[in-house]
Amino acid sequence: MIDAGGLYERYKELQSYVGWTEEDARRVAATATLLEPYLYALIEDFYAEIERHPNARKVITGGAEQIARLKGTLTQWIRDLLSGAYDTTYVTRRWKVGLRHVEIGLEQVYTNVALSRLRTGLVQSLHESWRGAGRDLKETVRSLDKLLDLDLAIIEDAYQAEYAARLQRTERLATLGQVAGGVAHELRNPLNVVKTSVYYLVNARNPTDDKKTEHLRRIERNVELADGVITALSNFARLPLPEMRPIDLESMMREVLELNPPGDRIEVVLNSPPGLPGGLGDASQLRIALGNLVRNARDAMTQGGRLEISLRSEADRVVIEVADSGTGMDEAELVRIMEPLYTTKTRGLGLGLAITRSIIDKNQGTIQVESQSGRGSTFTVRLFAAPVEGDQ
Amino acid sequence: MTDESARILVVDDDVDICHNLTDILSDLGYHVDLAHDGHSALKLLHQSRYDVALLDYKMPGMDGLTLYREIRKRHAGTVALLVTAYASSATAEAALSAGAWKVVAKPVDFGALLQFVEQAIHQPLLLVVDDDRDLCANLWDLFRDQGYRVGLAHDVSEASEQILDSRHRIVLIDMRIPGATGSDVFRMVRETDPRARTILITGYRAEMDPLIDQMVAEGADAVCYKPFDMPQLLAKLGELARPHAEEAGQNPG
Repeated sequence: MIDAGGLYERYKELQSYVGWTEEDARRVAATATLLEPYLYALIEDFYAEIERHPNARKVITGGAEQIARLKGTLTQWIRDLLSGAYDTTYVTRRWKVGLRHVEIGLEQVYTNVALSRLRTGLVQSLHESWRGAGRDLKETVRSLDKLLDLDLAIIEDAYQAEYAARLQRTERLATLGQVAGGVAHELRNPLNVVKTSVYYLVNARNPTDDKKTEHLRRIERNVELADGVITALSNFARLPLPEMRPIDLESMMREVLELNPPGDRIEVVLNSPPGLPGGLGDASQLRIALGNLVRNARDAMTQGGRLEISLRSEADRVVIEVADSGTGMDEAELVRIMEPLYTTKTRGLGLGLAITRSIIDKNQGTIQVESQSGRGSTFTVRLFAAPVEGDQ
Repeated sequence: MTDESARILVVDDDVDICHNLTDILSDLGYHVDLAHDGHSALKLLHQSRYDVALLDYKMPGMDGLTLYREIRKRHAGTVALLVTAYASSATAEAALSAGAWKVVAKPVDFGALLQFVEQAIHQPLLLVVDDDRDLCANLWDLFRDQGYRVGLAHDVSEASEQILDSRHRIVLIDMRIPGATGSDVFRMVRETDPRARTILITGYRAEMDPLIDQMVAEGADAVCYKPFDMPQLLAKLGELARPHAEEAGQNPG
């Protein structure tokens, strides 16, 4: 939907930028009759040049008939240009040229060079037909230049806006496809368990009562697993604005470790220096973010290892470092590790770190990761320190 | 066939019965190990994998059913026959729920017992390689119910151990397992046990996982998409489990 009023406002702003006046409009309008006899040749030259450039030529798919029509359009475009009336209708038509170029896949560079060629032709024709004073010719050419620059600005503006909008739509579709693939895989696993259990309950020859109970419990458990996939996805999709409050980091980390126990085979160390300032953030969100880091560390150390969590203060920030001695990641994995739907695990949607990063971002913090394949990974979270009481 | 002869584990606290069974079974060409209590039986399991286990139900220390649960945890493919003098329906039901194949009443009818052993050994051995333990448990129940022996592997090291240890009729491989990809396991099977047939399991559709096409081109026999179409999967198993024509020709009888 084109907002013609808004467009015209924008055009007026651009006009004032180049110093466009009514006098310019009058001068350009005066050239219309002078240039009319040259239009045919200019337009023939315009399309002859296109023929020599395959990347420009390829967008014309309708053959001679289409070229004839396009020549008519271009003639009208030049007549409009020289009309002296640069109103809403005029601007909207220019804007549509940019949209159309995106539609047919004509790169903006060809608009720029084609207009340059046309400009040269128009100016040359003006020189040939000019009968007045040389000083007036110079002024007229300057006015024509301004007008062509404005036309180009509007066409390019439309091109960029439309191009960006299309790109966004394509990316959204690609992400949707990626999400659908990840969710499909994660949901098919529990569905498969449910389906095979149901098949057993319906078809097994002599299932004992214990066996039937076992399969019903398994169905129940896997329905919960499937539900968990959907919960994780919707948590990611709508993360509320954080309530920023001072947080005691040490006790928060202890809670996180309690909620996400790393297991017996992992030695856990929590280093917290005395007098550490509090952090600033939403504790309920940060617990999720840091819980993901602890769980990842655990999953990276299936054969056991050491999880070291170090808190420290750094200028106006507090730092939480979560270091494991697990499998680590190589360069290629490291680059992608925070992308949504990327995972190095065999199970899971690959949303954990993406959620963590998104939470830390919203809490005005930063997160960094360093890792060495076979040696382990260290995640470093920085949050603003809470202001000390009486400081303000 | 010497190194592929069936291995049988006999566990009974009655030493005489134990030796008699061992003599009879060895005479039939089986490889037999014996133990007189659960704990020494578990030690044997460290070194060996058994096709069939003949377990006395009532033994001092660990009873036969508890022992079978331990065996199944390690080697799900072992078929268990529990021998008991007190075959109440409750004990029998508990044994069958735990996955034992038969509960045999004492005194043992040797003829019937030998027939069971023979039958058990001829059940085609499958291997399921999947880290989803719930799915493995379900496939175990379903495939056992159809008369297959079913080994389970939840990661690549368990898989390679069993692929090296036993000849499988069919190996079912999940495309995503910890420590490797399905194609690693597939190639391991192709190299170690080329006669084994292979079925790939995946939650993706083919267009999302180009590896699948590649493995089919390399000789995977079937691809099974989650959630499974069970009747179709069972039909495929039935088809693939039939001994190869040339194999039957080489070893008549």
